Amino acid sequence: MSQGIMLPQGWEARWDPQSNAYIYVEQSTGRSQWEVPTQPSYGSAPEPSTAPTQSHRPGRRQYPTAQIQQVYGGGGYDSQPQQPQVAPGYADQQQPQYFTPGFGGADAQQPAYGQHQQQQQAPAYGGQPQVYGQQQQLYSGQQQQQPVDQMSNQFQQMNMGYQAGGQQGPGGKRLHQIQTVNLIGMQPDVTGLDSPPPPYLLPDNASVTGSPNVQPDPSYQRCTLTSMPTTQSLLNKSKLPLALVMSPYRSFRENQEGDEPVPVIEDSVIARCRRCRAYINPFVTFIEGGNRWKCCMCGLSNEVPQLFDWNQQENKPADRWSRKELNHSVVEFIAPTEYMVRPPQPPVYAFVIDVSQQAIQSGMVAVAARTILESLDNIPNADNRTKVAIIAVSTSLHFFSLPAGATEASMLVVSDLTDVFLPKPVDLLVNLTESRPALESLLGKLSDMFQDSHSVGNALGSALQAAHQLIGKIGGKIIALTATLPTLGEGALKARDDPKLLGTSKESSLLNAASSFYKTFAIECSKQQVAVDMFLFSTSYTDVATLSCLPRYTAGQTYLYPGFNASRSEDAIKFATEFGKVLAMPMGLEAVIRVRATRGIRMSAFHGNFFIRSTDLLALPVVPTDQNYVIELQLEDDIKGAFVVLQTAILHTTCYGERRIRVITQAMPTTDSISELYASADQVAVATYLTNKAVERSMSHSLDDARNLITNKLGEMLSVYKNQVTSSSGGASAQLAVPDNLKLLPLLCCGLVKHVGLREGGSIPPDLRSYAQALLTTLPCQSLIPFIHPRFYSLHNMSNESGNPNEKGIIQLPLTLNLTSEKLERHGLFLIEDGQNIFLWVGHEAVPRLIQDVFDLPNYQELKGGKSTLPNLDNPFSQRVNNIINKIRESRRGVYKPHLYIVKSDAEPALRSWALSLLIEDRMDHMSSYAQYLTTVKNKVSRVRILNLFESES
Amino acid sequence: MGGEGWLFLFAVLMAAVLLFTMVFFIIMFSDLECDYINPIDLCNKLNQFVLPEMIAHAFLTLCFLLSGQWLAFLLNAPLVGYNVNKIMAKNHMYDATEIFRTLSGHKKESFIKLGFYLVSFFYYLYRMILALISESD
Repeated sequence: MSQGIMLPQGWEARWDPQSNAYIYVEQSTGRSQWEVPTQPSYGSAPEPSTAPTQSHRPGRRQYPTAQIQQVYGGGGYDSQPQQPQVAPGYADQQQPQYFTPGFGGADAQQPAYGQHQQQQQAPAYGGQPQVYGQQQQLYSGQQQQQPVDQMSNQFQQMNMGYQAGGQQGPGGKRLHQIQTVNLIGMQPDVTGLDSPPPPYLLPDNASVTGSPNVQPDPSYQRCTLTSMPTTQSLLNKSKLPLALVMSPYRSFRENQEGDEPVPVIEDSVIARCRRCRAYINPFVTFIEGGNRWKCCMCGLSNEVPQLFDWNQQENKPADRWSRKELNHSVVEFIAPTEYMVRPPQPPVYAFVIDVSQQAIQSGMVAVAARTILESLDNIPNADNRTKVAIIAVSTSLHFFSLPAGATEASMLVVSDLTDVFLPKPVDLLVNLTESRPALESLLGKLSDMFQDSHSVGNALGSALQAAHQLIGKIGGKIIALTATLPTLGEGALKARDDPKLLGTSKESSLLNAASSFYKTFAIECSKQQVAVDMFLFSTSYTDVATLSCLPRYTAGQTYLYPGFNASRSEDAIKFATEFGKVLAMPMGLEAVIRVRATRGIRMSAFHGNFFIRSTDLLALPVVPTDQNYVIELQLEDDIKGAFVVLQTAILHTTCYGERRIRVITQAMPTTDSISELYASADQVAVATYLTNKAVERSMSHSLDDARNLITNKLGEMLSVYKNQVTSSSGGASAQLAVPDNLKLLPLLCCGLVKHVGLREGGSIPPDLRSYAQALLTTLPCQSLIPFIHPRFYSLHNMSNESGNPNEKGIIQLPLTLNLTSEKLERHGLFLIEDGQNIFLWVGHEAVPRLIQDVFDLPNYQELKGGKSTLPNLDNPFSQRVNNIINKIRESRRGVYKPHLYIVKSDAEPALRSWALSLLIEDRMDHMSSYAQYLTTVKNKVSRVRILNLFESES
Repeated sequence: MGGEGWLFLFAVLMAAVLLFTMVFFIIMFSDLECDYINPIDLCNKLNQFVLPEMIAHAFLTLCFLLSGQWLAFLLNAPLVGYNVNKIMAKNHMYDATEIFRTLSGHKKESFIKLGFYLVSFFYYLYRMILALISESD
């Protein structure tokens, strides 16, 4: 199997899905180990220390089959080679499950494994053929499933296998396998970043239908722990965070990821618990012959609605067990009128466009007007109800009257900025379809209208108020585009970016809002169901920190285009693409999100872009697709049941005039063991949680505190792990023990403390920092992880498949490399991308042929660095590189279209150091390298340990 | 009744008013927790009382200073300092967007103030009676 590290001869790396790690197998002997091998294999005899485990190694081929049968009393291993026929691709992943990997010297720190070994040796073998039998059944029955489900089912089944083998917790629960790895001196395996979270090991009969879709895809909702601690004191003791990470309004991309559409329940039979108002879900139980159902959260027995078993379309009885809400974790109900405060409102867009001199000169107005014009067909307008208004703002407000049927728009100017009023009661907010001719003619000449204006100054605050007055009665979205700092009227701001503050503890004041206007106005907007999106085009300081308050509390999004200049086609294309996608994005209007959970669990804190309307109700005037929310959980009471259920409900009006409720149900097993908690932690979710906490801390305290928070949290977790889970005794050891499922968390934390949003140092403009922070708190995991830990590919020596489509037509990406400049070669071509920017690194000894093939230039000297577009040339290599870049741009959810920068390894020091700053495993300026960071964490671990020793002795 | 008596009578009344303000604050905060009121209304309501409360307390302290009641003045001075510091940092008003994050802190602060006003209420009462007795002697 492929692997970033070159293996010595005779070794093979195999992916072990259960522990999310590579296992290294010596091909000649079948000997296996977790450590990366250093010595080539010469087919030597296995080491004596591993002798006890040899007896049940499937890979060991020198044993005659007959002998194995004799020893194990059944064709257990004999049947194994047949596995690939049943489930191709999974067979070699399973193998590590059934033999104990060699412990070449690592026995001391792997006590969990030691136990294993003993338990497995004696009674297990009788049970194993049976286990395989079960698996075969499973596979043949469920070939159609999603890979992830298949995977998790496989895990569950395997753990059943372990039960037979004696790995059984108290009470017969299935347990995660815990695997300790040492990080010091190891290069992190970055391919593991995309691996799925640990499986949810639910009891067999947890769901009523046994459908494979009862758990949500991690892209909808995931939890930092995949098993729930039974008490708060256990959670506190473990120091692990407990939080839900979700993007419930995730985009749906059929053609690429094989996303399944959300099943819709159209008969408006909505069964809810009378007491806790939970929606019926796969984890309820039916009692009294199916006439009543027992709520899985509060235990109340409720009546099953009369029409629950009735097919209303065909007017005949229906099969209850095929109902979508009992088979799917993510469903959408069409809500009847009881769920409406008012009839579904139409989608409304109000554009507030800055037309000051600077905005016109940068070309922003022209590009924006053209993009709106081109997107008029893509704006959600299914039933011709969509309304649009345009306000241009400079030193005064310019309204446009667009009467239905007219072909020309007339402009009305209001110069009173303190007491904003609308110059006309009608025709300012118009129906998109009816007033389209006037709108088109206006957009066509908007930029030219203000071409000669020399007004410097921007009354954005007043314009926003006007837009709010205009659409406040209906609600909708204000899209504000501004190229200058608002300096006039309400909410005027000053350039406060004092370079002396940067890098000091006072820097966090620059990350907070300068004026309270934007906060109070945001509350006003949220109340009237108005969301604000901010598009900022700064050439100088625009106070992103203050302006981003509006999107933050109204569930919008901030977009920043630093140094925007439309005469550079890359800038114009990037903005036009992203803006077009924002306009075409389906909106959920007037939404509220509420999370319900099994009794005893309380939502204690919320992070993300929304307004918290009451203790557990999040108000979002407009739900954008692909935005991330983090919700912290607390345990108020001890939890009794074998599993808990968490349910997110998002009530919204679609832009097609339907009131809908999207319900996401997730069940988690409970546990009272600390090692099980560690084995079930999800590193991606934990990293997302830490990101949100750190950004919050950087605003309330300081950036220093935020970075310390990350490192301290990590240190605490690992020290608890070391003391409570591994049995390593005494003193500071040279190793840093982490559970295998968290082994990339230190790397992500290291990336986080070095991220632009939190990085130490006085050279980062506050605008960029604020914007990075806004992204850190809103990007869904899929984009957030690359944003923290960029992807790094080597293009000049990529394998033949990379950049070409595979059988399914999906472009293959090359192997991801570790983020260190060691990998950079002087003659190479490399690509670094973090989802927002793509850097194409060209080594200065690159052969002219490479430059010719990719850039169509004779040699390296002719090449120019900077923002660029790659030519699409008629040679295979150029096409592959272009394929890869396009694939990267498309592969993630969200509207962002990353810029492509060409970086020459010996020119443009600023660009070069920017690209190098993404290589987070390296030391940079005074920020520590990954290895140094690990040492810091390790020292924290030993220090906490010493403190604990003191406590226990006193 | 002499000046000291009148001063402490006034102080007793003021302390009672401040006491009730704090009780009102605490009731409103628990209403918010129980979802009887939304954060926007809560903040609009409470923010009306924040400055008057601080000014009333500062005025009382000023009276003690001018009349030379050193002990009573020193008792109140730290709270005045705390309030002034909050106003300078511009975080004396309740912020509806942050209220749920800071709610526990606000409640704690209100309880401490409540206790303080209660103690000072009895202290003023005691001083008032003391002043009346010494006059009648």
